[in-house]
Amino acid sequence: MGFVIKPNINSSSFHLSGRSFFIRRRQKKKKKKTRRGEMAEDQKKKSCRFWIWALSSVVFRLILISFPGNLNLSSRPEVSTPLTSIRRLAEGYWLKQASMSPYAGSMYHGSPLLLSVLGPLTVQRIKGQPSHLLCSLVFVIADILSAMLLRGIGKKLQMAYGLNARLLGLLKSSRDKGILPCGDIAALVYLWNPFTIVSCVGLSTSPIENLAVILALFGAVTRRVPLAAFGLVIATHLSLYPATLTIPIVIILGYGLDAPPIKLFLQTRSVENEESSTPTVSKQPKLKQTTRLPFLWKTVAHFLFWVLLWSLCVLVLCAFSLNKYGGLDEMFKRTYGFILSIEDLSPNIGVFWYFFAEVFDFFRNFFLIVFHVNILFMLLPLAIRLKHRPCFLAFIYLAISSILKSYPSVGDSSLYLSLWALFVNELVDMKFSFFLFCGYLGISLLSPVMHNLWIWRGTGNANFYFGNAIGYACFQIVFVVESVSAMLNHDRALKRCINTNHGEVKN
Amino acid sequence: MAADNRYEEEEEVRTDDGSPITKPRPIVRLGIFLVAHSPVFSVVFSAAGVLALLLLPLLAKNTYISENALMPGSARSMLSNRDASDGSKLVKDIKNFRLNHEGQVQRLIGKYMSEMVAEVYYQKFQPEGNQFHPLHFFSGPASYTLLGNVSCASYGVNVVGIIRAPRGDGKESIVLVTPYDFINGGDYEDLSLGIVSSLFSLLSRVTWLSKDIIWLVADSRYGDYRPVAAWLAEYHTPSFKVSDLLKCDELNTADNFRRAGTVAAALILKVDGRSERFEDILSIYADASNGQMPNLDLINVVNYLAVHRQGFHVKVEKVVSLLSSSWLKIVGEIFEAVGKVANTLNPDWKFGIPAAEYIEGSATLASSLYSQALGIPTGPHGAFRDYQVDAITLKISPGFPPDSKARQHDFFLRGSQLLEGTIRSVNNLLEKFHQSFFLYVLTSPSKFISVGVYMIAFALLVASLPMVAASLYVDGCKALTKSTHNSAENFKSWKWLDAAKQVFALHLLGFIVTLLPYFICQVPGQHSPRNRSIMWGTTSSLLLVTFVTIPGCSPFSSRLHGTNWAILKSVTISAAFIGLCLMSIINFATAEIGALLLVPTCLLAQPIKPALRSRRVKSLLGAFCSMVLVTIGFPVIFFAITKGLVGEGLVGLSLGGEFWTWLESLWAWKSATYLYIGMVHLPCWLLCVCILFHPS
Repeated sequence: MGFVIKPNINSSSFHLSGRSFFIRRRQKKKKKKTRRGEMAEDQKKKSCRFWIWALSSVVFRLILISFPGNLNLSSRPEVSTPLTSIRRLAEGYWLKQASMSPYAGSMYHGSPLLLSVLGPLTVQRIKGQPSHLLCSLVFVIADILSAMLLRGIGKKLQMAYGLNARLLGLLKSSRDKGILPCGDIAALVYLWNPFTIVSCVGLSTSPIENLAVILALFGAVTRRVPLAAFGLVIATHLSLYPATLTIPIVIILGYGLDAPPIKLFLQTRSVENEESSTPTVSKQPKLKQTTRLPFLWKTVAHFLFWVLLWSLCVLVLCAFSLNKYGGLDEMFKRTYGFILSIEDLSPNIGVFWYFFAEVFDFFRNFFLIVFHVNILFMLLPLAIRLKHRPCFLAFIYLAISSILKSYPSVGDSSLYLSLWALFVNELVDMKFSFFLFCGYLGISLLSPVMHNLWIWRGTGNANFYFGNAIGYACFQIVFVVESVSAMLNHDRALKRCINTNHGEVKN
Repeated sequence: MAADNRYEEEEEVRTDDGSPITKPRPIVRLGIFLVAHSPVFSVVFSAAGVLALLLLPLLAKNTYISENALMPGSARSMLSNRDASDGSKLVKDIKNFRLNHEGQVQRLIGKYMSEMVAEVYYQKFQPEGNQFHPLHFFSGPASYTLLGNVSCASYGVNVVGIIRAPRGDGKESIVLVTPYDFINGGDYEDLSLGIVSSLFSLLSRVTWLSKDIIWLVADSRYGDYRPVAAWLAEYHTPSFKVSDLLKCDELNTADNFRRAGTVAAALILKVDGRSERFEDILSIYADASNGQMPNLDLINVVNYLAVHRQGFHVKVEKVVSLLSSSWLKIVGEIFEAVGKVANTLNPDWKFGIPAAEYIEGSATLASSLYSQALGIPTGPHGAFRDYQVDAITLKISPGFPPDSKARQHDFFLRGSQLLEGTIRSVNNLLEKFHQSFFLYVLTSPSKFISVGVYMIAFALLVASLPMVAASLYVDGCKALTKSTHNSAENFKSWKWLDAAKQVFALHLLGFIVTLLPYFICQVPGQHSPRNRSIMWGTTSSLLLVTFVTIPGCSPFSSRLHGTNWAILKSVTISAAFIGLCLMSIINFATAEIGALLLVPTCLLAQPIKPALRSRRVKSLLGAFCSMVLVTIGFPVIFFAITKGLVGEGLVGLSLGGEFWTWLESLWAWKSATYLYIGMVHLPCWLLCVCILFHPS
């Protein structure tokens, strides 16, 4: 009965998506014209389906919002952290109304701007409706906006993918059915991800943070420089970690969207040149090959200028709203200081709380530095290796910061998971997808059970919940590593594909 | 799960790259080896799991006192004959009181308590109806307080007395509970009051007390559990609304509910029916809801004092029918023989136990597992566990008729000395119980199996699931790659998505079916359980039919999508694995019994069509086995079979009624087993049926 695995057999069954498109295209070239009409219809159908699914996700959210008391999601440590909890925000708003500093009593640690925007909504009640209804509606709207922006990003990326494939000679036609509509997929992944739904219904402010991040990426991808700068500044202001996104956004603005490595384009071009130049007329001087893309300094400077302008605006507004309560000093101390010094050790799905509850006080500063530098260490190597794919780089940065954040929540995971879906075309051959899916599912179901065992039943202890957090971190790491290696493999496969193509042409 | 899966694919990568094949790491090779030979290993692991379960009584350890502060039995008992005669006097008075119909017995007890310098108050509560709240498992205990329509027709009155500790600061307390039916309490119930009142009269005088003592005489007219739960709810969540119950009676209970700090431990004392033996028998009940147990130290202290100081015969519950079973006897004899052989080889190996002891241990273990798996508390101590208080019920069956005065005095003396010793030990504690185990099963009052040992049996049983899932996944992927060589899409690693959609759809169906009883209970009018079960059955099957007809999520339409059954089975097995692992953390016993049913069913499920076509004996036998397993695996049939084994044969519609009542008891007690049946077992069973009839 048992079968013996022969690894060699599998290598023949490996198919690169791009290559198979190519072969398929050539076979079906003749039928193309008749199919064009069908295709348009098909696309219409697809977009119709997308809207149905998107709408149903909104309806689902609204249903869940109508009975939040029974779900009690807003008190789950997985959903709301000290930074994103709406209860704390309401508390801060009350303190401010009572002419006290909103940061008094170490309750609120978010932005003062968010306080002025969301604060009044926490107080307002529509009669007969559950409290915080207005806030929930704001979060639903933020989710919808994020999804639409993701769709926009995806459309751009899809176009770039098609264009690059054509430039490399892997696709001959202008339209290809084989390219997945990654924008639609990403938007739906964002809208239907249980993590997003839970953090939207559970009244955490992470939908708004996610919206700011996605806005920054959208601005960069569509080359709306002020918008990108605005998103980046707001995202950084809200949760500090998106500051790392400066690198990918600068690369997007400077070099352009995700593309295969520049070497490949040069290779194809040189081969084409060889073909076109007949051996008899070989004296024609060869085109000078540039091995580097031009970097658009002007756009980047423009972007930096806008970043400065927006940050100035935000700082002035914050200073204005806090001028009686300690000003900006107090704000930096209570928001960024709170994030960096990990004062709140209440359990969450990250790995920091347990460690810093255990560590001796005189080592604390040392380990704080070590833990935070972890993120910074990875920025540069990744930027060098993935500089040709800046959007993917942004996804990797967000995933890493969601693993190594001081107060992570499932809202952060929902953001990077939906960004990941933007690269379905490239990551079609990602390995361990089923393993990772089962892992994420198992961990997210296990987490409330472990929490219950520890907090309510008292038969477990902190190690139970922390073990779960470690498992979650491991799965995230495997996920990131696999995504990166799948992307690099994709590039390698492209190269091999081009080489074989040229071999065929020469023969 | 698919760690093996990983290894498998890692192997592929190496060859894909075209790089020279390097030897993979040993652990990777081990994984590949396991996955490649998964049929053999799955049989071996499952058999080892069952064997480990049978071996558990042998592996039980003797209990020991883990917390040093307890020091049971180190102090001399201070209880005198005078205290015991106080108890006798109370019992006599209650008897007279009841004969003369002089009013409420509660008042008499209250009077006695206040004579012993205790603070006394009365608490009124209402019996609670059956409510559907299985999902309350994840929330705190106090989230369901009903202040709705109150009627004076039925309510109970608890009497509570508190002795303040001379050395305490009023922040900690120990609770003594005596369930007592004030309307028609029997002679034996009076004895429990006698024992506690003897103790109470002593405790009001002693100087060593550092935790307040609360004596709760629970009105057990509406069951033992409800009054205790009502008292605990009010104790822990003060409500500032004045209940309408207060106006119901002349007994003034208003505004005097008193508290005494966090409860360190609780002892529930019951005296009932005469024992068959001459000596007094003490039975210990410890299972709270969802298989939670009190700290083992509490049981140890009581057991130590009862056996070594007071000479009670201590026992825990066991399945009586197992004691006479012949197959268990054979197994026990085999183990005994093996133990003897091992002992001759090396005198240090002492794992053999006599066959009789093995049978006793197995019967107790079976009972332990059964009551934990049901998730229904075995007594009022279950109410305490919801507030993280360790509590046990001590049920004493005296070996004498209730009117024997001479032995009654001695009985009071011994009973209250046992309680005194226990309270003295708990009184020594500086922290709450935490040293010893919370997760264990008992095989005798002085033997236990800890979580580290009993998890092995479960782990071995489910270990085969990820292996088989990985090997099926690899198989399925290969088959799909071959069949869809020229099709439009060739997602190498996303072939499981279709199968996952189907599995998800059926789990969603399971979730809806689990919630259906809530709506069925809302249907107006009185319905017998049988009718309700018919309603449930028909709505569920209608739902199933609609689900099957929706294209895309029905497993039967999978031919269109090109999914083959191997991947569907792989995803099913993964879902079962996740479900079982989750359940093993919530309630081990349920997961163990569930795994015994689900693992073979999932592993053997294979399409029967090819088996019938091939007409080979081996495949026909396999098909037959899987059919039998699937039949047994259906919850209703399994319920009928277990009922049949116990001796109540049930057929036809009465079975549905019985099953409904059983399930109703599960959700009324907030048992997670109900959720397990509806959301893990049922969907996986349905998926196995789908695989059986897969049109491959």
